[in-house]
Amino acid sequence: MSLIELRSIGKTYQSAGLDVEVLKNVSLRIKEGEYVSIIGPSGAGKSTLMTIMGCLGLPSQGIYILDGEEVGQVSDRELSRIRNEKIGFVFQAFHLLPGVTAIDNVMMPLLYSDKVPKDAKQRAQAVLEKVMLGHRLTHTPGQLSGGEQQRVTIARSLINNPKILLADEPTGNLDSKNGVEIMKTFDRLNQEGTTIILITHDQEVALHAQRILTIKDGQIESDQWNENFQKSQAGPARSGVE
Amino acid sequence: MRIFRNLRQALRGVALNKANTFLMTLGIIVGIGSLTVIVAIGEGTKAKVLDRISSLGFGPDSFSVYAGSGRLFFARSGATTSLSLQDVDDIRALPTVRLVIPRQRKRSRVIYKKEFTATRVYGVTPEWQIARDWDMTDGAFFTDQDMERKRRVIVLGSTPAKKLFGDQDPIGKMVRVGDVFFQVIGLLEEKGLTESGYDPDDRSLIPLTTSISRLTHQTYLHSAKVMALDPSLVEKTMEDVRLILRENHNLSPLADDDFRYITPEGIMQWVTESSQALNRMLVLISTVSLLVGGIVIMNILLVSIRERVREIGIRRCFGARRSDITQQFLFESIFVAILGGILGTAIGLAVAIIFQRFDILPTKITWEPFALAFAFSTVIGLVFGIQPARKAAMLSPEESLR
Ligand SMILES: Nc1ncnc2c1ncn2[C@@H]1O[C@H](COP(=O)(O)OP(=O)(O)O)[C@@H](O)[C@H]1O
Ligand SMILES: [Mg+2]
Repeated sequence: MSLIELRSIGKTYQSAGLDVEVLKNVSLRIKEGEYVSIIGPSGAGKSTLMTIMGCLGLPSQGIYILDGEEVGQVSDRELSRIRNEKIGFVFQAFHLLPGVTAIDNVMMPLLYSDKVPKDAKQRAQAVLEKVMLGHRLTHTPGQLSGGEQQRVTIARSLINNPKILLADEPTGNLDSKNGVEIMKTFDRLNQEGTTIILITHDQEVALHAQRILTIKDGQIESDQWNENFQKSQAGPARSGVE
Repeated sequence: MRIFRNLRQALRGVALNKANTFLMTLGIIVGIGSLTVIVAIGEGTKAKVLDRISSLGFGPDSFSVYAGSGRLFFARSGATTSLSLQDVDDIRALPTVRLVIPRQRKRSRVIYKKEFTATRVYGVTPEWQIARDWDMTDGAFFTDQDMERKRRVIVLGSTPAKKLFGDQDPIGKMVRVGDVFFQVIGLLEEKGLTESGYDPDDRSLIPLTTSISRLTHQTYLHSAKVMALDPSLVEKTMEDVRLILRENHNLSPLADDDFRYITPEGIMQWVTESSQALNRMLVLISTVSLLVGGIVIMNILLVSIRERVREIGIRRCFGARRSDITQQFLFESIFVAILGGILGTAIGLAVAIIFQRFDILPTKITWEPFALAFAFSTVIGLVFGIQPARKAAMLSPEESLR
């Protein structure tokens, strides 16, 4: 069974009275444990696709089934729970709480869990160390560089051990050394079973994934296996495209 | 508990958005503070007038006639030569009149050796003491004999007595009023300051005849107090007195009275009227001040909400429910309202007390303005703080992050 299933998804924005069709008839299945990268030119609709897969907004057409639940039929409260428990987001624009320390930003999703774990602080510290920010716990976003802020957002996305990690240009603001480290983290997470959907325009970054989707003008242009995907990197649910 | 987590987030938000918190608190402080002060002044003024009435010593059977046209204590004309001894004699001859106490009045400096004090010196008849029912602590009031012989004797109120003599016994001592020496023959019992700070003891009394020949050097009266035989006769007596005075003063039918009455009812009526006018004005001013405070709060909230829609979107992305957002902003508004309420109350109280202490304006502190302003600012905070937050929470996370 697929973890993510998009059936003829369309998304139309109203802009200055005009309808802008950003996604057209997108159908797609992703199984648990897959490592997918989405590439495409700027404005192709990659970020929009991510907001739909992350339950941040509803599609204008089509049906989205996440982990067996039809997202359009679920209450807002239930959607909040799904976002909290199942999905981790890494945004292109970071979206950190301004003025709030790195560790508190990372712990924020735990506030909205049913129960805050007793070791919340240690967990937050651990994920920050994972992204090599153990020495920046009490810095606020304004006191951090773009790359450091990006790594805080990655730490935040991992705090709840999500099933799915949605990352929008996670290496866009990083130098190559940090970029490599982050990609290693993603690779490892995938090996541990996390489904990763990675938006990027960097071919090299895309090649970390097992499956590469190309989007153009709001449509899937190609859906290919990565021949170079190393067998050693394979996650538990490695399988072909249907 | 989720609600406590939201409370903590709210407190952080308040601490984080210091400028907003400060401005909003300021708005509430302005509202509550000014309302408190204004109402305190209104209440204080009313209290002052009311206890002034009681200190005038009116019984239900008496009224006063003052020289000069106008109303109550407010003379319209400066001419105070309209009330004569003849008038008083004619009034006294009315069958319904029990007593008439004519008065002259002059604010004078009273001197004893090196001490001196400015006080109100009244020339009155011996019946004054009966009419006012004011006891003596020492000595005696002057008599008809003192009146006939125009004796230079003086009865001191406790305020000038204390200022001039301190611990000494004033009886028999000579004090100077203007250029004239008077012998102190009696001391009035101390009444004490009224609530509003009027000092009824700040007065001295001399025989009217002595006052005419030695102090004012004229026979015109300041006023006369008239006691009727019975309270029910007061109204009729006032009409008769009016006829007598108008005839004595040769007033044409069209001319205004050149004298005026002061009665407890008249004062009460005036107080009621003026306190109504005052109240209307106060309501207006307080409404304006609350509105200003409210508009300040509203604007800051609207601006800050726009900034914070993004924060709401971020929290929603990571699992915040709509109710979490509402709770957080509710707590923030409540906190700011309480903070502003406490500070506004403290500042309002302080200003009211300072006005009272330094005799700037009479004030009286009541709880109603606090309750009203508190409720008002809380409602503003809730409506304009919660409503936009709720609206932002209703958006999808994607929409609020745009
Ligand atoms: N809220 C919106 N209203 C109108 N147009 C939008 C909105 N969001 C995105 N778009 C448009 O949709 C297109 C795709 O946007 P996006 O998904 O961000 O592309 P990508 O991430 O692939 O660069 C762009 O042309 C963008 O201008
Ligand atoms: Mg994008």
